[in-house]
Amino acid sequence: MVNIKKGLANGLSITFVMVKVIVPCYIAIELIKHFGIIGVISEFFKPFMRFFGLPGEAALAIIAGYTINLYAAIAVLSPLNLSSKDITIVALILGISHSLSVETPVTQQTGANGWVLLILRIALSLFAGAGLNLIWKLL
Amino acid sequence: MEIIITALKNSALLTGQLLLIILPLTISYEFIKHRQADLAKKRFRFLGISANGLIPLITGVIIGLTYGAGIIIHSIRSSNMDKKEAFLILLFLSICHAIIEDTLIFVVIGANGLIIVAARFLLAFVFTYVVGRWLFIKKPP
Repeated sequence: MVNIKKGLANGLSITFVMVKVIVPCYIAIELIKHFGIIGVISEFFKPFMRFFGLPGEAALAIIAGYTINLYAAIAVLSPLNLSSKDITIVALILGISHSLSVETPVTQQTGANGWVLLILRIALSLFAGAGLNLIWKLL
Repeated sequence: MEIIITALKNSALLTGQLLLIILPLTISYEFIKHRQADLAKKRFRFLGISANGLIPLITGVIIGLTYGAGIIIHSIRSSNMDKKEAFLILLFLSICHAIIEDTLIFVVIGANGLIIVAARFLLAFVFTYVVGRWLFIKKPP
């Protein structure tokens, strides 16, 4: 019973943190979609995103995930209406590398070299995304 | 104005879906947390990670780095393992952590969960093995 209560309390506090991120991100994306700014951003990132087989605007979700957290990334991703394959690739990239501003200090606290891990994570996530895209094409 | 209302409605919907995933998870974490001490008694070693490293490893894989931080930091520090082992654990965890939550929240918006989980575990095992090998060859224990 104590476990359930504590878990419920934790879940609700996580949700509260989540809402504070999701709502502003969702509104921001809807707004830049509405004013056509997303096309400009999309064009800018298109050459980079090609490696992952993703449309340019997916870069916004990846940046939001890297710097803020996964909930922000999902709030950005959801209104973009990408295909299941695109979302899977973004999810793999972001699963490996996300919330870097919060998680890097955690890894450093353990005594392991946080900077090496940070660079490894970013490199690996991009490598994994590009790899999954290649495998998907071959299949 | 209309856009903002749509955005609010949709983000409320998204939050609701995520809530359905997160609540059962946080409740089960509480139950798992109390069972972790049992794992420490088992003796084994794989990928250069000893039984001591198993608690932070499993905590990280299931709960994640943010919410599992307390347990991970405490168990690595208190077991006075060497830096190499700590690095290997963190390397594995960097690639493969919060495997349930991270996967499910993307499945909600349409991703293929199986591919994500399989790819992350595979990469984590391969990289930890390769880096572990390389570290241990350079400085034999």
